[in-house]
Amino acid sequence: MRWLSKLRRRVRLIVDRKGVEREMRDEMRFHLEMEAEELTRFGAAESEALRLARRRFGGVARFEDEARDARGGRWLEQLRQDTRYAMRVLGRGRGFAAVAMLTLALGVGANTAIFSVVRGVLLRALPYPEPERLVAVQSVIRGSPTAVSPPDFLDWRAQAKSFAGIAAYFLSTTNLTGTGEPERLTQARVSANFFDVLGIRPARGRGFLAGEDAQTAPRVAVLSDGLWRRRFGADPSVVGRTIRLDDFPTTVIGIAPPELKLPVGVDLWLTTRFDARDVDPRARGARWIEVVGRLSSTATLAGARAEVSAIAERLALVDPRHDGGVTSRVATLQEDLVGGVRTPLLILLGAVGFVMLIACVNVASLSLGRTAARETELTVRVALGAGRGRIARQILTESLVLAAGGGIAGLALAVLGTRALVALAPGELPLVHAVHVDGAVLSFSLAVTLLSGIVFGVVPALQGSRQGIEARLRAGSRGVSLGSGRLRRMLVVTEVALAMTLLAGAGLLVRSLTRLAAVDPGFRPDHLATFSVTLSPVRYPDAARQEQFAHELETRLERLPAVTAAGISFGLPLANGGFGFTFTIGGRPEVSGPDEPRAQVRIATPDFFRAMGIPLVRGRGFTARDDETAPRVILISEAAARRYWPNEDPIGQTLQTGWGRDETHRFGGTIIGVVGDVRQFSLAMAPLPEIYGPLAQRPLDEMSVVIHSTTTTSTVLAAARAIVRELDAELPVYDVRSYDEIVRESIAERRFYVTLLAMFAGLALVLAAIGIYGVIAYSVQQRRRELGIRIALGATRERVIGLVMRQGMTLTIAGAAIGLGVAGLLTRVLRGQLYEVSATDPLTFLLVPAILLVVAAVACIVPLRRAIAVDPATTIRAES
Amino acid sequence: MDARADLLQGTLDLLILKTLALGALHGWGIAKRIGQLSSDVLRVGQGSLYPALYRLEDRGWIDAEWGISPEGRKAKFYRLTAEGRRQLGAETETWRVFSLAVNHVLRAT
Repeated sequence: MRWLSKLRRRVRLIVDRKGVEREMRDEMRFHLEMEAEELTRFGAAESEALRLARRRFGGVARFEDEARDARGGRWLEQLRQDTRYAMRVLGRGRGFAAVAMLTLALGVGANTAIFSVVRGVLLRALPYPEPERLVAVQSVIRGSPTAVSPPDFLDWRAQAKSFAGIAAYFLSTTNLTGTGEPERLTQARVSANFFDVLGIRPARGRGFLAGEDAQTAPRVAVLSDGLWRRRFGADPSVVGRTIRLDDFPTTVIGIAPPELKLPVGVDLWLTTRFDARDVDPRARGARWIEVVGRLSSTATLAGARAEVSAIAERLALVDPRHDGGVTSRVATLQEDLVGGVRTPLLILLGAVGFVMLIACVNVASLSLGRTAARETELTVRVALGAGRGRIARQILTESLVLAAGGGIAGLALAVLGTRALVALAPGELPLVHAVHVDGAVLSFSLAVTLLSGIVFGVVPALQGSRQGIEARLRAGSRGVSLGSGRLRRMLVVTEVALAMTLLAGAGLLVRSLTRLAAVDPGFRPDHLATFSVTLSPVRYPDAARQEQFAHELETRLERLPAVTAAGISFGLPLANGGFGFTFTIGGRPEVSGPDEPRAQVRIATPDFFRAMGIPLVRGRGFTARDDETAPRVILISEAAARRYWPNEDPIGQTLQTGWGRDETHRFGGTIIGVVGDVRQFSLAMAPLPEIYGPLAQRPLDEMSVVIHSTTTTSTVLAAARAIVRELDAELPVYDVRSYDEIVRESIAERRFYVTLLAMFAGLALVLAAIGIYGVIAYSVQQRRRELGIRIALGATRERVIGLVMRQGMTLTIAGAAIGLGVAGLLTRVLRGQLYEVSATDPLTFLLVPAILLVVAAVACIVPLRRAIAVDPATTIRAES
Repeated sequence: MDARADLLQGTLDLLILKTLALGALHGWGIAKRIGQLSSDVLRVGQGSLYPALYRLEDRGWIDAEWGISPEGRKAKFYRLTAEGRRQLGAETETWRVFSLAVNHVLRAT
């Protein structure tokens, strides 16, 4: 076992270096003594013998050193020496070590935290078998991907050969009653092959069987792991039990494994149960289902794309009215799920990369200052025979020890930061459950740490070992090489430029966010409480009973004290968008294809507009007389009027929506008025044309209630809950919140990213300030005597301050100018993320440098004031 | 390291291995034995023996152990390992071929 004894010797060298050394000395002393004894025996004088023995032996020190090299593991030993020495040196300059490690910790922490999110969300494969074969298939209208209509889906499924399986799903909600508190659950209605396509087996029970998605099949459900634990206490006997969903008895057939989270936020899976109208070829225009497919083992993504696209072209010919101009999109499921967050996450990753660079530059600059300050020590070491490589290695080891310290602290920060990110991330961040610090993330931060140690260590190491001993000795104890000063100034300019770039980017995004938050949504969200209910189709089977419930609810709510108006609608702007429908205009020829008139459809009670504060622009609004028995009436939004009746008065015209998914969604009538626009989907998206119908004429089972009051929304909502319970104790109330909350949530994701980016930019600013502070403090320290002499000779303190300030500010201005140039180029990347702010927004590009200059000025003044405050006599007398 | 030292080192290694093949010895003993055989080789100083011993030990050709010398003193004894014995065979052969070749060349003139 040769390697074993070798290993034993290596280990001994590390843990018992002193012992190894002692043995070596003992051995050589023994040799010398034996030799001396022999020489004495041969007649040498005892006093001479040892000297003679030494001469025969040669230089003891030299052979000791050669022997150290020969016994192997020398580098290990030196590393140990260097590390111990580095610790001692760093321990001596605690302030420096603390600042440097903190800087690195912040850099490593921020990078690791963001990387862990990027890895969890963008890089980690979906938790399904062969996830790269899973694709999302969508229809595309005028360039934007949309949902798919069931007839199109069925045609794709029948004709496409690229797929081993292709499944449909859509999200909706259902009332769980009969077991405790009634609850509104999020259900996914899926085709029977859904689990097979994903390659997922239920953890308990079974999945859906072929044919169970038919309209006539018995109702069966698979519960999510979360719902099973929360609502049923993880009781395995739930499988086989019957639960009541929307008052329909439904058999629980299985429990899904915890990793199945498609679609996001789902509580349970039921089957599609498409009815005849859903799959009617005339319903090709009603696009409301999502499609996921698994590529067959022989198919490629490109092949599937071409095939689906060819089918879409055929369908456009078959049904030009609905599918004309409609193309298709096939993307990997991963890309489809995370596509929306890719750019913001990559921008954040870029931002923390900048922060890390600044941190490295900062520490390099600090180390450089220290190397210069240690000139004397390095000179002594060179004089004692240390080679250039040895000195460079020593300084690099110090950097790596610093990096290791910073890295460990950074990792702790990262673990906390990652948890905070996951907790604070708005719910829309997909796959966020997969975000945690794991091996890959650890390797990443290790790499970042090592790299940073080398990056910021190499410059001082080269600098420290550059000069020969003569130069050092000539320079004397005060010798500060000018070269190192120039290098430090360059580093400061670099970090100011990096910070400037980051600040400019963050500035633009912050400006976008404030602009967006100030956008008028078209209604008045303050003092507005909202909640939703969905009536059971069993107990409210017809329009009359649904209408009766709505009327009763609204009347009672309006009778509450402090309530000024209460209204009911189907869907709320900014909360759950709405449905887009195509329609025809009375007396005009039908238009088909992408140019077909299209609008968002909303059902509302007369007081909905008053409660929301949506103004009536022209004509009249809905009244109580517009009921079931009265002629059908319609209100349109200004955007609809502008788009479809640009040169005429829409009032008095008629319109009729296309084929709807459900009879109750189809409607038409005479336009009686025009109301103000509202932003339906997001504050950033211009209002789409919208048409309203009165609830009394087209009742619906799903209602969103808005209540405007002069009191707090929580008081109103508590009273409203009581009223609903009185009307129907089995009816779950959900989505209970204030409208301010809905508006806030609609920009929560953007606010999250922008806040993070602003934090990183702030961090960059602080680090740059530390860099400037370090350079100025060092320079003031070096020039103490000179400045003291200047003051003693009569220069005013202001003049002296100006002298040094000029140095600091020149660096800052140079850095800021370069940074502005870089930012001008780089902010283009952000263009898609900006809202009504140009990528070269003048205000941002003026304000950010101004902030940077002020911070830099403060960073200069602090060390300067301290230096100037000392009596010049003291500084002049002080040596070195 | 110049060429002479290189040559010397290889030769010294061979001599150490050969010396130890006869039995365990401490450093001074090896130096004496080699010195008896060829004082020329060690003219550079007996101390150069030690780096060579440490190197051979690191390669696993010899083993070291502390023991008591015949004079009754604590000394570090070196011993040939099985691998060292193989190495000695190989190096002896190399040396034989080498010296034959050199002798041949020298005789040719």
